[in-house]
Amino acid sequence: MVRHVIRKAAGWLLMIVVATNATYFLASWFLDPRSNYRDLRPVRSEDQIDRALAPYHLDPREPLVHRWWDWLTSVTLHFDWGRSPTGVSVNGEIGYRALVSAELVTLATVLSVVIGVALGVYTAARQYGWADRFSQAVSILVFNVPASVAALLVVFVAIWLNQHAGLRFLYVAGENSPGVEGLLPTIADRLLHLILPTASLTLMGYVGYHLTQRSLLLDTLGADFVRTARATGLTRAQAIRRHALRTALIPTAASVAFSVPAVFTGAVITESVFAWNGMGRYFVQTISKNDVHGTVATAAFAATLTAVGAILADIATVFLDPRVRVS
Amino acid sequence: MTLATPLLDPAPGKDGRPVLSVRDLHITFPSEAGPVQAVRGVGFDLLPGRTLCVVGESGSGKSATALGVMGLLPPSAEVRGQVLLDGQDLVGLDDRALSKIRGKSIGMVFQDPLSALTPIYSVGRLLADALRVHQDLTRRAAWEQAVQLLDLVGIPDPRGRATAFPHEFSGGMRQRVVIALAIANRPAVLVADEPTTALDVTVQAQILDVLRLAQQETGAGLVLITHDLGVVAGHADDVAVMYAGRFVEHAGVTELFRRPTMPYTARLLAAVPTVDGGVRRPLVPIGGEPPALVDLPAGCPFAPRCAVALDACRTAEPESHEVTGHGHVACLRAAEIADGSLDPKGDTPPAGPPAPADRTATATATGEVVLRVEDLVKTFPVTKGAVLKRRIGTLRAVGGVGFALRAGETLALVGESGSGKTTTLMEILRLARPEGGRVEICGTDVAALDSPAAVRRLRRDVQIVMQDPLGALDPRMPVSHSLAEPLRAIGRDRASIRARVRELLALVGLDDTIGDRFPAALSGGQRQRVGIARALATEPRLLALDEPLSALDVSVQAGVINLLTRLKRELGLAYLVVAHDLAVVRYVSDRIAVMYLGHIVETGDTEAIFADPRHPYTRALLSAIPIPDPGRERTRERVVLTGEPPNAARPPRGCVFVDRCPLYREAGEELRRRCRTEPPAQTPVAGDSGHRYACHGV
Amino acid sequence: MSTDARAGAPSGAPVRPDAEPPRAARPAREHAHLGLGRLYARRFARNRLAVAGAVILALLVLFAALGGHLTRYAYTDADFTALTAPPSGVHWFGTNQGGNDVYACAVHGLQRSLTIAVSVSVLTVVLAAVIGSGAAYFGGRVERATLAVIHFLLVVPSFLILALVSHRLAGDWRVLIIVLTVFGWMSTARVIWAVSTSLRERDYVKAAEFMGVGPLRVILRHLIPNLGSLLIVNLTLGVVATVLSETALSFLGFGVQTPDVSLGTMLADGATTLTSAPWLFAFPAGLLVLLTVSMTLIGDGLRDALDPTSATGSAGGRR
Repeated sequence: MVRHVIRKAAGWLLMIVVATNATYFLASWFLDPRSNYRDLRPVRSEDQIDRALAPYHLDPREPLVHRWWDWLTSVTLHFDWGRSPTGVSVNGEIGYRALVSAELVTLATVLSVVIGVALGVYTAARQYGWADRFSQAVSILVFNVPASVAALLVVFVAIWLNQHAGLRFLYVAGENSPGVEGLLPTIADRLLHLILPTASLTLMGYVGYHLTQRSLLLDTLGADFVRTARATGLTRAQAIRRHALRTALIPTAASVAFSVPAVFTGAVITESVFAWNGMGRYFVQTISKNDVHGTVATAAFAATLTAVGAILADIATVFLDPRVRVS
Repeated sequence: MTLATPLLDPAPGKDGRPVLSVRDLHITFPSEAGPVQAVRGVGFDLLPGRTLCVVGESGSGKSATALGVMGLLPPSAEVRGQVLLDGQDLVGLDDRALSKIRGKSIGMVFQDPLSALTPIYSVGRLLADALRVHQDLTRRAAWEQAVQLLDLVGIPDPRGRATAFPHEFSGGMRQRVVIALAIANRPAVLVADEPTTALDVTVQAQILDVLRLAQQETGAGLVLITHDLGVVAGHADDVAVMYAGRFVEHAGVTELFRRPTMPYTARLLAAVPTVDGGVRRPLVPIGGEPPALVDLPAGCPFAPRCAVALDACRTAEPESHEVTGHGHVACLRAAEIADGSLDPKGDTPPAGPPAPADRTATATATGEVVLRVEDLVKTFPVTKGAVLKRRIGTLRAVGGVGFALRAGETLALVGESGSGKTTTLMEILRLARPEGGRVEICGTDVAALDSPAAVRRLRRDVQIVMQDPLGALDPRMPVSHSLAEPLRAIGRDRASIRARVRELLALVGLDDTIGDRFPAALSGGQRQRVGIARALATEPRLLALDEPLSALDVSVQAGVINLLTRLKRELGLAYLVVAHDLAVVRYVSDRIAVMYLGHIVETGDTEAIFADPRHPYTRALLSAIPIPDPGRERTRERVVLTGEPPNAARPPRGCVFVDRCPLYREAGEELRRRCRTEPPAQTPVAGDSGHRYACHGV
Repeated sequence: MSTDARAGAPSGAPVRPDAEPPRAARPAREHAHLGLGRLYARRFARNRLAVAGAVILALLVLFAALGGHLTRYAYTDADFTALTAPPSGVHWFGTNQGGNDVYACAVHGLQRSLTIAVSVSVLTVVLAAVIGSGAAYFGGRVERATLAVIHFLLVVPSFLILALVSHRLAGDWRVLIIVLTVFGWMSTARVIWAVSTSLRERDYVKAAEFMGVGPLRVILRHLIPNLGSLLIVNLTLGVVATVLSETALSFLGFGVQTPDVSLGTMLADGATTLTSAPWLFAFPAGLLVLLTVSMTLIGDGLRDALDPTSATGSAGGRR
């Protein structure tokens, strides 16, 4: 098992290395850090701009291969992912923003899984009942609402609530308010800021779990072994709970394991709408600010977490499903 | 619609009171075309310790009856009538009330053991859970009982195996576990729905023995549902023959087989191929198809297929009534049939000429050799785990097989699953250099085919008929397109293709209009005829038939056998048949090669193999096939094999059969050593050079 | 592989019959004479939600195609007498900050979004079908190489690459189509590959090979037609997926660029004036949701109508 994981991880590592380097070239090709300076007043000459970029290995006069080599050596030897065109350390940004994202997404992931799976199980056992039809309709609707629309709707409702309740307890922007001091007030403030984005993310996240869990369980309900279990004297509900559900939860567990590392990569749209400075927003900002190093580091970070997720999902499957266990 | 079926009171058993009484059971499923009346007024009494066999073809409603008794039908099914268990009517009870009865008073054994066990629990856990549903046991005590149950159903090393998961067991072993589950709480009634259909014939014999043991152990009454009349002959006390949702004949086993009184029963028995007896009697197919169970027309549902039907048979469905000295029969002419004044089969001669005469003609004929196989070898890599694949060895699926086949001759490769027979067939059909050995078709060594064009030319001479006629036809193509495909592949023009398609349909006895239909709209027999027609399209000389009959019902099977015999004679074809069922093989083949674990262990003329089997495996195989005759089935001496075919990834070094060989167990030290270390050579039987076997001990 | 194990399957669980009734009268027998097309149409028509979806979609397409003729404003016209005006008799959907007529923008944006979504979906499915079924049919090295490429592209954070590339090039919506296709075919190809591998093992495919039918013909005559329902369903659901990702990209400013307008860019504009001018957000959002929901309903309906094992279709019980 351990050997297998190591071999798998090596394969993933190779892919991440290739993907990251490919992104480096793509980003260098498509992003032009110089354009950041062009709108500045007083107007800088091209030469001045290039010189300003040189310390960060972004100087376009330097051949791309040289820049790449500098970047690669600094990553492999010092694990330094470079600096933005304005000189901000990418390592520092990612370290901070990943935690902000995790703060935002972890709770939403937990809620999505719990609500989605519970709803999936509840409705599958009552297929075609009114609860099933209703929640199915809602989920299909939600599934088809673009994330931006959903997030904005949440904002809209929150503003309306704030106006009508006459107090400002639903924060529609930022991860904290400036000027809050003391441990408890800080925690309370942060939690209040979490409410809306979490609601929005959960709304978008639970749907997938609901629909997949429902269909997984429905597939299993017709299985012969559920009938066998009923023949031994279990009621339908008991047979579903003890036999069908346990089996149908295995793929869900794998997909939860897969999505756990993804909490650090954040949520692009939600973070943008709610102005959270997490990884998702960083991703948008690095591209729009022509930050080659930031973009590449984001790509590498996301690819790594995908790989970690895939390995975790494998481990979860092997752990839960005796059929794929290697003895 | 008939009135309530009269109560059946079978000969009172030893202890009198029935454990299970079913009265006028009706089961209806909704469907798009209207309600499907799957069961229409079934009634019977089951006495403790007795076995009632319900026999019928697919779609006759026998499985629905079983599920109806268990209360395991889908909620959409409508159930009427009574299922009286110990005086309590189960029909209409809610799930909670039924769950107190299921597993405790009635146990059920299902058809497919591979999917009947929850994959994520160990078998010990499954059994312990089943015990604890109805009994107040500690975990430890339940586990102990589970181990005892595994021991009872014949699982070796029960304590060790209890912690194993279902997928770690073979099919036969899983079915033993399912039986253990069914008898865990010592139910008074056992219902077994085709418990051996998915299993090999040698394993079937073991499972039926386990079932009988389980029945003795618990004293339960057994409802055994099967399509196999041989199993009925060996195990039933009473037999109910089901047709179109009703019991059309219900009698004691000896009476039923001595004088089948419903024409359907009689025709069914005449259509079953058997392995016993010196003479091979011709098979008489039942024409037509079983009726669809929606909007049944008035009259006896069997009347359209019946040779002795009267006009009255077509106007009203006959009631089931008692025939003195026999049982209950739903036929207007039962009395005439019972007293012997009417032959229920009618005087229809068997379709096609009597087979034996035909065969003696071909057996002596020496046509040119169309297929020669020498020392054929095929291996597969063995991997383990579904997600975490890794190679753990090499499976030697075919280990040096050789035979020759002449025009006008049929050779059957016979063996259980994993014997390598289908692999052999596929290797021949691949028309590419084999991994080892030589394949020569119509004088051409396939290894010498150097261009795709040469391969395509040879393809015309070799065609295949596949096992599952539905799977072998593209569901999205009408029949005529499927038939045209091989012709198009060899570049025939449109007009000649159209003419040939019509010709082919006529050749296999199908109507022209069939050409416009999609495979889903055909019956099983029609589909297989289309499959045969397609294989004949390019006028091949060699036809490979992969289990051509195993997916067909008995009443249809005989017709296809006769068709194959006729085509071979008319077109001078050579058949290479792969089959697991020796009884069927007897009717289609001139020579037989018995395969075990990738090797031919015995080969010879069909009748020589049946009359004088030499290899212990051939003998065991022959004796494992149940004979549809209660007298002989119950008295004959049987060689029951223990265990199951070993893993072909680690075959024994000497004789491949050594692990299960009954001779080996009784052999002396010297012989045992040879069996273990030295692969036996093919030895000819004195006086019959074509009959050879590979055994040290005979 | 677990890369696609994430929750978030397309909506609508495949519906399973509880149990197949024994020999359900083979209704297919009569149906066969009707021709498969009419049979499918009949089964689709029985699904009321799917029909509703089809009607909504038809109306949307009509709106996108002809709606422009109903107003005298073009989406590029700026009415400086009415900046950020609420809906009125003149500007049915109101105007935005620049005085553009929101109705005209919506018609154009819907056109743009539909064109992009349908083209990408068609291209994706064609590409995925060829690659997926080809890999499955040929097996061996071709299969391994294709899977490696798919696997690799799935690890690459494709949304990031998408944003990166389209940010620079996607002033032009045609480039956006290409970029979305190039980075969008993999998961569909994987699904098609998986189904094809099981089709490859079907007896009728083997039979065709044994009869000497060539590989291309086997793929075209047997594999693709039998993948048919899967392809059609993927096509409709692919439209939904494309609309969603185009919206997301445009919303973030990486997709369609001004002066061109898509529903996504309209959303981004509307986001800033959510409370002061809600109509800027409401109309494009409503159109988007109508579009995706109707496509999903159609997709689900097609899946049920084309799948011979589905409960609503009930194609005759056989054992």
